[in-house]
Amino acid sequence: MNDLDYLKLTGFSKLGYKLKKFFTGIPGRLAGALKGLGLWFVKLFRGIGSALADLGSTFVHGDWKTKLSYLVMGFGSCARGQWGRGILFFLFQTVFNLYMVNFGVAYLGKLNTLGTIETYREGRKTVYGDNSFFILLYGVLTLFFVLAFLYTWYMNVKQNRVSEQILKSGKKLKSTKDDLKSLMDEQFHKTLLALPTLGVTVFTILPIFFMILVAFTNFDATHQPPSKLFTWVGWDNFRQLLSSDNASYGNTFSQVLLWTLIWAFFATFLNYFLGMLVAIMINKKGIKLKKMWRTILVMTIAIPQFVSLLYVSKMFAADGLINSFLMRLGWISTPLPFWTDPVWARVTVIVINVWIGIPYLMLIATGILMNIPADLYESARIDGANAFQMYKKITLPYMLFVTGPYLLTSFTGNINNFNVIFLLSGGKPLSLELSGNAGYTDLLITWLYKMTVSDTNYKLAAVMGILVFLVCAVINLIVYNMIPSVKNEEDFQ
Amino acid sequence: MKKILALVLAAMMVLSMASFAAADDGYAGNLKIWVAEATVEFTKAQVEAFKAAHPEYANMTVEVLPVGEGDAANNVITDVEAAADIFGFAQDQLARLVAANALMDVEPENAKVVAAENDAGSVAAVTLGETMYAYPMTCDNGYFLYYDKSVVSDPSTLEGIVADCEKAGKNVYFEINSGWYQTAFFFGAGCTLTYGTDNEGAIVSSECNYASENGVKALKAMINLAKSPAFKNGSSISAGSDIGAIVDGAWDSNYAQEAFGENFAAVKLPTVDGFQLGGFGGFKMLGVKPQTDEAKMAACDALAAYLTSGEVQLARFEAVGWGPSNLAAKSSEKVQSNVALAALADQLQYAVPQGQYPNDYWSLATGLGDDVIAGKYNDLDDAALLEVLQNFQNTAASYVTAK
Repeated sequence: MNDLDYLKLTGFSKLGYKLKKFFTGIPGRLAGALKGLGLWFVKLFRGIGSALADLGSTFVHGDWKTKLSYLVMGFGSCARGQWGRGILFFLFQTVFNLYMVNFGVAYLGKLNTLGTIETYREGRKTVYGDNSFFILLYGVLTLFFVLAFLYTWYMNVKQNRVSEQILKSGKKLKSTKDDLKSLMDEQFHKTLLALPTLGVTVFTILPIFFMILVAFTNFDATHQPPSKLFTWVGWDNFRQLLSSDNASYGNTFSQVLLWTLIWAFFATFLNYFLGMLVAIMINKKGIKLKKMWRTILVMTIAIPQFVSLLYVSKMFAADGLINSFLMRLGWISTPLPFWTDPVWARVTVIVINVWIGIPYLMLIATGILMNIPADLYESARIDGANAFQMYKKITLPYMLFVTGPYLLTSFTGNINNFNVIFLLSGGKPLSLELSGNAGYTDLLITWLYKMTVSDTNYKLAAVMGILVFLVCAVINLIVYNMIPSVKNEEDFQ
Repeated sequence: MKKILALVLAAMMVLSMASFAAADDGYAGNLKIWVAEATVEFTKAQVEAFKAAHPEYANMTVEVLPVGEGDAANNVITDVEAAADIFGFAQDQLARLVAANALMDVEPENAKVVAAENDAGSVAAVTLGETMYAYPMTCDNGYFLYYDKSVVSDPSTLEGIVADCEKAGKNVYFEINSGWYQTAFFFGAGCTLTYGTDNEGAIVSSECNYASENGVKALKAMINLAKSPAFKNGSSISAGSDIGAIVDGAWDSNYAQEAFGENFAAVKLPTVDGFQLGGFGGFKMLGVKPQTDEAKMAACDALAAYLTSGEVQLARFEAVGWGPSNLAAKSSEKVQSNVALAALADQLQYAVPQGQYPNDYWSLATGLGDDVIAGKYNDLDDAALLEVLQNFQNTAASYVTAK
């Protein structure tokens, strides 16, 4: 189909065509992503290969100082007068050796079994055995440390080769003073980023890696350190969560996942369009007391959600304010099942979320609406466009362009919108049709919370964490490439 | 200078010897206790009394913290090493705690005393297989009916209570989506649901006959109750509104007296559809977590035994109204004359001492209750209801861990 054919289509067929194109494009995009991943691995292995080759050739061609540096890190640097670098290398090696001998080797050695010595009783006294949790945690930490050491060792060898080449070409090596100076000058980025990188590694990457590993163990209520050991179980947990035979959670998982996506869709777009509508209404010429309307709406932000949501949840209960009021008026004879009927409960959380979400969207939209050039509207009006046409052709594209990335992040945020669900319904109502303590309004994230806190089922929670990440990542990658702010960067400039 | 140094050294030696002597037949370190918030002050006072009576423990530092009975078990299981040494919990958590190796068995001498002085139900509740794992503290974890005399004219049938409350525009509270309160219907109609545990607290067998004529009768009674506009799911007097009648426990008796004032009344549960509502009789207990230090272990044993002794149970009843499990304390005049506890004692004739249930049972029961409240079963015939219960029964049986 060429452009001309496309333009001839009616509105609905255009949409259909776009959707068809989107879905038929999925395999291609997926293949592209896999190819990219494959290329990345090839590059990684090539890099490692060439590094190994470098190590070999440096050893063969290097002088004795270089050769000795393979064993004693920093020796070459010191021998060539670069004391600062040499001492740092040497210190790192010493610390690493001490750590490994006193600490690391013991944990690393048990990492494959996660401990074998059980806790036992001596008379009535308890003697604790291996602690699988610490073995896993410190084992992973040690692995990271070993990788860091290998990299530093490689750097140390490379340093020697480079120094030899520099000396051969007759130039002088940098002194320690020069090094320090360059850290404040052309290498300043390293100085600045050293601390954040260390922090991110220790406090973010390490725990994530640890949690991913937990998904492959049987760490749950009956394997709770320090009293009990846990061990590796391979893909069993994934099977339990995803397959749909009797003792598994497959059916419940697909229901919860579906509801999570439905919720995220409504929570994002309903808030978005209603918030925009409210902003447009308040912005309209001739509306009086604009500031007052805005203040009233913003009041919901001023009260902490913990307070307002818990209160609203109580208000909608069977014996809450709303039901008793309606019953006293005689409009209903039995209480409305806001929290007890699955469908009602789902609709109620979405509607209450609109109440919380509109003010934020209204504030964002107000700012953007004021930015749209008034001459666009003026010329449209001269051309005879009505209000809806102007909205569709001017306001909406402009809004989508500016708030595209915001929409995406808020969609992801809503997939993980723990507060609203947990404080309003707590995931209830439960049902015999759902297993694993999940309820009809549970999102993946609140189900995960129940698993960890009330069922101490860490293994399944870890699996769920990985799956939530996958869902978010896939949606983000697809949608990010579709939003106008990324595709047509030049529009509206 | 040297003299001063020598003096200091000598003083230190004397001090360290003194502390060694104390450690020999006592304990002077730290000890942590978790009890329900209402009893924190009471427990603190009792700990002081314990120290006064046992000079070898006079230097012990005891920290008493408010941690509710439900949370205590969770917290102890999550992190045994950071948990309190002595903690209060309700009996339904016992098997879980033992299975997670988070409880130490009761010292054999103490166990004999506990078995002799407490009522049989509570002793059975703290014992798994042959081993006693905790000290019974109360015998009041059951439920019965509080009602407003001006609203409910005859509290003997549930149908009558509901009709009275509907007429007066008041609410009937019954937490039928809780695995604990729900058994009032099933057990009352003659069903059973029990699990067997081994010495390590693992669930090894189950017995359930919910999928039967009696089960259907019980489920229908629940459905009928839930259909009434007066019905509210809940069991907390302080959180309810317009209460005509509520099924609740002795721990809320102060609130009940406040809420109903002159019209306060408490009786055993009513009958429904011709059968008497039954349910669980339960107990609260004190447990000691596994100890790695002998001296501290002895201190924990002694303190836990003291805190659950007859006098302290009676004092606890006077302070916060918790009904004792100790036989002597139970038969004292003060306990006998308490209205709420009398109603409870009346109801306990129809109740089953609560055994051990897997954690999954409670969410399964909530699922059933929520389905009833949501009206999913309103139009089902007996055969379909039987199928629902069969499904429930099969799932309940699946929680048995294969050995």
